Amino acid sequence: MSEFLQSERVGEAKATVERLRANMRRVIVGKDDVIDRLLICLAAAGHMLIEDLPGVGKTTLAYALARSTDCQFSRIQFTSDLLPSDVTGVAIYDESTREFVFKPGPVFSNIVLADEINRAPPKTQSALLEVMDRAKVTVDGEAHAVGSPFMVFATQNPIDYEGTFPLPESQMDRFLMRLRMGYPQHRDEIEILRTSRSGYDSMQIGAVASRAQVAAVQGLVCQVFVEESILDYILRIVAATRTETEFKAGASVRGGIALRTAAQARALVNGRDFVLPDDVAELVAPVLAHRLALSRQTGDALEERRAVGAHLKRILSALPPPT
Amino acid sequence: MDTGRPRLSLEELHLLRWLLGGVLMLLSIATVFYMDVGSEVMTVLAMAGVLVALARPALPARIPVWAHRLAFPAILMFFLGDLWHEGQLLPAVVRLDILLLLYRGVSHRARRDDLQIVVLGLFLIVVAGVLTVSLLFAAQILVFTACALGLLMVVTITASAEGGQAPKLAVRGVVPGWAAHADWGHLARRLRQVAEWRLVASALALFVGVVALSGLLFLAIPRFQLENSLFLERFVPRKAMTGFSDSIKFGDISEIIEDNGVAFDVDLSDPAQAPATPYWRMVVLDEYRNGGFKLSSPMRSPDIMGKERTASYYIPTLRGVPGAPTWTFYLESGVSRYLPLLGRFVVLRFRDAQNFRYSPYLGLMALRDEPATMTAYRVEGMAPDTPGLADSLFAARWRNREVRRGVPLQLELDLPFAPDKATLAGLTADIGARGLDAAAFAQKANAWLQRLHGYSLSPRIPPGPGDPLVRWMASREPGHCELFAGAFVLAARSAGFPARVVTGFKGGTWNAYSGNYTVRNSDAHAWAEIWDARRGAWLRDDPLAPVVSEALEKKGDAALAALMDRSWSARLNSIRVFWYRRIVNFDQQSQVDTIRAVKAATDSSGKWLRAAVAGAASRVKAWFAGPWNLERAGRVAAVAAAAGALLWALLTGRIRLAALVASRKADPVRREAGHWLRRLEGPPPLIADLQRLRFGHSGTWPRPADVFRRARRAPPSSRRVPGGASRSTS
Repeated sequence: MSEFLQSERVGEAKATVERLRANMRRVIVGKDDVIDRLLICLAAAGHMLIEDLPGVGKTTLAYALARSTDCQFSRIQFTSDLLPSDVTGVAIYDESTREFVFKPGPVFSNIVLADEINRAPPKTQSALLEVMDRAKVTVDGEAHAVGSPFMVFATQNPIDYEGTFPLPESQMDRFLMRLRMGYPQHRDEIEILRTSRSGYDSMQIGAVASRAQVAAVQGLVCQVFVEESILDYILRIVAATRTETEFKAGASVRGGIALRTAAQARALVNGRDFVLPDDVAELVAPVLAHRLALSRQTGDALEERRAVGAHLKRILSALPPPT
Repeated sequence: MDTGRPRLSLEELHLLRWLLGGVLMLLSIATVFYMDVGSEVMTVLAMAGVLVALARPALPARIPVWAHRLAFPAILMFFLGDLWHEGQLLPAVVRLDILLLLYRGVSHRARRDDLQIVVLGLFLIVVAGVLTVSLLFAAQILVFTACALGLLMVVTITASAEGGQAPKLAVRGVVPGWAAHADWGHLARRLRQVAEWRLVASALALFVGVVALSGLLFLAIPRFQLENSLFLERFVPRKAMTGFSDSIKFGDISEIIEDNGVAFDVDLSDPAQAPATPYWRMVVLDEYRNGGFKLSSPMRSPDIMGKERTASYYIPTLRGVPGAPTWTFYLESGVSRYLPLLGRFVVLRFRDAQNFRYSPYLGLMALRDEPATMTAYRVEGMAPDTPGLADSLFAARWRNREVRRGVPLQLELDLPFAPDKATLAGLTADIGARGLDAAAFAQKANAWLQRLHGYSLSPRIPPGPGDPLVRWMASREPGHCELFAGAFVLAARSAGFPARVVTGFKGGTWNAYSGNYTVRNSDAHAWAEIWDARRGAWLRDDPLAPVVSEALEKKGDAALAALMDRSWSARLNSIRVFWYRRIVNFDQQSQVDTIRAVKAATDSSGKWLRAAVAGAASRVKAWFAGPWNLERAGRVAAVAAAAGALLWALLTGRIRLAALVASRKADPVRREAGHWLRRLEGPPPLIADLQRLRFGHSGTWPRPADVFRRARRAPPSSRRVPGGASRSTS
């Protein structure tokens, strides 16, 4: 095997992603940047956390991705009485065979929408830790592989925190990116009002890429070349978050690896077999922001997210990229 | 443990840290007013700067980044210029310290900067204390200590609140949250709210108690050799150990334990004159009564022992030998109030005035009290009394057999049990003293004693009536030096020779590391002196010593070689001697010499710098004075322009030294591609190739030469405008 990517394979990967992008843009109007980052997250085999108000298209986005990639889609509505076994599955006793048989939970799918994940108690949230890390669920000592490709698409409402359980840092660290949908532009919303029907089941969207093609793209990401100065740039950014007085704690090593992987995925999605400094700079906020907390407490979650973003921007502007 | 009490937030802790650091700096800088270093204006300005920044914590963020970049080079330049101009090291260092504190005071500090101000402040406080030595210094160091402890505690708590992260550097030009919302009134209210007053009061009481106790100890303990002042060991029951004693009592002798503790150390100015076996005389025991020797009360009278004086030196009327060496004694505490001496001397000096008595006839020097600390004294012109200690007073009395005012002739036997005298006479007859002079008698008596008795530290005196020493003489039991010396004295007196016991130390070792005599308690010894009427002197006689003629006795280096000690204890003891040599000062001359040397070094450092700069300046001047033509002027202008441009680029951050170093290490193709990427904006295919050369895998590179050729030929419109927007690379 060659130690660098063949241009044909890069071209194929780019074409796959281009088809997915075009397909999703048909149903998700005016959110091209969100779609781009979602596709980067998909290519990097990462998990996505979307924070926004209800009704801005989070579920539709996840469903559109599943349909476009011919992937199985399942939705788990997280509530305070949800049990871990409700997510992962349970072993039940089969009278006929007189054995315990594993009954898979909704997590056994390709695209899993964990809706309002912060409404479930920490025990249930933690049930996702293993599957997000290993794409496997262990029940009664037996590991069961979930679907491939596998992506957890979690949502939470940043405003309504009543009766919620904030995700622990270890859980947050396992999401590759955190995005906001935001309200659409005026003309885009006009278009939505004109064309959309309620309910994502009615969505007219077909598959433009197979699961195998998606898995192939994911397999190529780790082969995208990262030059030494780019690695140094990533490390300088991560180190700066660790010495920044405004942050309670800096980004973890996993955060640095996530930034590198995401940058590789962005390069591949854009048809390159090497990473540019811009790939890194563009993804610093979506990849690192949710891993950082302010050292001073603020009562407002939105205010905290804005402050973290501003500090990351300042750090980035103070660190010259490699040239 | 969560006590449920309100706690300071991280922002409040940072503000408290800022406050304590500022107070610490103000305290330290204020000490400069007490130093005569001519920095009053700078001190006032520095204090004003720190005060303003302390009151308005957000202000330091307004200092431009270039000022931070220039700060340390400027301070360094100032220091060198100051040193050159003033030529005084200490004032220049003090001013450097003030400037560093000022800089720290007007910039937001990371944790390491807080620790730095403690060190910088401590330097000023200590220098001021050393130079002024006043009570004010004591007060200042107390307040400084309290402040520094408080600061360190707040720094630690802040670190803990930040999750024990590595020290965080303050970002230049950015107002930290705690500074932006600084509110001193709020902080005071919060401090009142969170303070556990009982704890504060306890800590305060503890601090005051410790300070008071330290003050009392400071006043109570003499100013040097703390370990010698510790009195606790005196509460420990003592065993009979080897060591000096100013009286001897026979009959209650028990086993004596060897004590190898150091009794005194002696520096010798001329080791070539070192005696083979020094006998360090300390006290004469002339009266034998009730089975023991002691110094008789007539001998203690001012006529014999001399009047008590209070002085720091003593010049006796009966002088020693002017060419003899100087001996410096370091007598440990608890040995005796009698000072060891070898013989007569020219002058004896103490460090401080002492109350003492000196007897030229007995050759004794006695302090009024046994010193509680190490006692140092220097004896100049002292040579061992050989063959004996001349005593004109006793010689005259002996000639006349005069018993004046009860002063004994040292023939007194004082044996209350009548048969003892007869026994003693019989024993003396065995020696065969008839017709002998003192020296010959001593020789025969020594031989007689050594024939009958062996040496032992665990002697046994046979039980029975009468005098214990006479009983021991009549037996064949072994004995130690006191028994031998006492027996010799009784025998001599019985034979009609005046004699007395002398106690002190014998010998010692020569420390190979520090080059001095070390005499231990185990070297304590007793010997005898017998009156030699012919010479008019007291002859030393050591009944335990082998008979060695004076001519054959080793001296100088040979003597020291025989006493050489290279053991670990000698190595350890040498440290003690080195310390004594440093702290003991008889005439302040060495201190004056040291101060002069420091001043000379300070002056010469300034002179050297001044000479170096003046030399360089004259060379530059000569160069400028040389003939100028157009070519030379052009070269100079080009170099100046290049230097100016480089400086400008460095100051504005357009060139980063670290980046230069890094790029030097990088691949030349990547470096060249990076160079072109910084200069070009298009066309896109060329940019893509350049990006691939710069960031891509080398296996996928297009031909670099072709790409760079295309880059060189790129139209001017594709050149990047300096300061323009960055190019999109997606």
